[in-house]
Amino acid sequence: MATFMTIAIATCAFFLGLILGSLGAASKLSRSPILRLAGQVYTTIFRGVPDLLIIYLFYFGSSGMIMYIAGAFGYTGYVEVNAFLTGMAAVGIISGAYSTEVFRGAVLVLPKGEIEAAKAIGMRPWLVFRRIMAPQILRLALPGLGNVWVSSLKETALISVTGLVEIMRQSTICAGSTKEPLLFYSIAAGLYLFLVSFSIRGFHWAEALTSRGFRRN
Amino acid sequence: MNGLRTHEKWLIFLVVTAVILAMSAGAEAKEWKKVRIATEGAYSPWNLTDASGKLTGYEIDLGNDLCRRMNVECEWIAQDWAGLFPGLNAGKFDLVMASVGVTEKRKEALSFSDFYAYQSSKFAVLKSSSLAKSVSDSNAIMDLENMNPESQKTLNELKKALSGKAIGVQTATNQYRFLETHFKDVVEIRNYKTAEQTDLDLVAGRIDALIVSTTYLKPLMATEKGKDLALIGPFFRGGPFPMGNSAAFRKDQDTELVQMFNAALDGAIKDGTVSKLSLKWFKYDVMENPKP
Repeated sequence: MATFMTIAIATCAFFLGLILGSLGAASKLSRSPILRLAGQVYTTIFRGVPDLLIIYLFYFGSSGMIMYIAGAFGYTGYVEVNAFLTGMAAVGIISGAYSTEVFRGAVLVLPKGEIEAAKAIGMRPWLVFRRIMAPQILRLALPGLGNVWVSSLKETALISVTGLVEIMRQSTICAGSTKEPLLFYSIAAGLYLFLVSFSIRGFHWAEALTSRGFRRN
Repeated sequence: MNGLRTHEKWLIFLVVTAVILAMSAGAEAKEWKKVRIATEGAYSPWNLTDASGKLTGYEIDLGNDLCRRMNVECEWIAQDWAGLFPGLNAGKFDLVMASVGVTEKRKEALSFSDFYAYQSSKFAVLKSSSLAKSVSDSNAIMDLENMNPESQKTLNELKKALSGKAIGVQTATNQYRFLETHFKDVVEIRNYKTAEQTDLDLVAGRIDALIVSTTYLKPLMATEKGKDLALIGPFFRGGPFPMGNSAAFRKDQDTELVQMFNAALDGAIKDGTVSKLSLKWFKYDVMENPKP
């Protein structure tokens, strides 16, 4: 159960990160100085502040803030903030900041000539993106994204502070209740290792798939 | 207000109304029907999670009993230790029962109920060792906060008896601070990451004595693993050690809830429920042995 929870958070967070990462990369590369600044602020904050701190701010800060606002309107009850959603959002937003840089790097190495050629034959911007840019970005970004995935997977361990029962929290519970810490933390380490090595295989497979037709140097 | 646009006027109106509402809401006392209690669920025998995933332990049994007495519905929330106090202050739960030792420092940040367990520490040795014969087990309490000439004498005798011995202690604990202050120059202090490692090494003969909380020692001595242990010297309390354990509340906020909790606890102590639960989980009475 706890393992599924870890996989669920990591997967949701990673995909949230992909979306945020594409948006982030798009704004960092855009012509508008405001968008560029927004992208810069986003990646600077979420890559610069420790992950645990962000999770604390999201989980404990958000419910405090919502209750403060609700309290201002005369509602003194308690507003629950879902631990899964806030944890997922925190890890997702952090991984989004890293994905931004991965995508940006991939876009920057695209051969300019191909894009100019596509424009020259009259392709509209969206078609250029879909046919020329996107497939290559995917291929170039995959190794970097693999890294982002692995670090998100391990970051989920930090969400245990919110009381969400994922692998880390489950092993703390078992270790404290049975007084066998070494056994249960070893099992947890094994599980993380298994998940990481298993998913890295997936990334290798995807890399092989997207680089068909490219010679490896 | 002529310079303001319509939506800005609306905003001001809303803020003013909100402030008035908030002030009036704060004036009426909160009625407690449902209380959310947080615990760690990973600190046997205080609070633990059994094989079926259910919370159990001394504090869970006691908490449920107190909720019945307070006539409130209780909800238990298992939280990682690191998330307990931030969560309490963020309003995610109303009180924490997680073997929280009451210290002066913590009193600055939290409100506490009356004690539901008294804490003390003791030296333990192997039954077969010479120390078990030379130093007797005593029920006296040495209050490190208020030392008198007599307790100073006992402490000096203990120092002499333990001189040159290797003493095991869990690192970064109150017991470690106690050894550092009073025994540093006469004994060899050996640090361990957990309390279990300390008692394993005592049984293995690598250390001559250990010092740990009695709430850890007594349940251990009732098992096969701890049957060869013997206690020596007085109970230590005060100074670096917390007096006891209490439920923790948000600082100075839910005074009625603290009063309700204390009244229920008082009832449970008087009718023997607390002692009964203590015998069940700790194998000794945490309210009696030793009393302050």
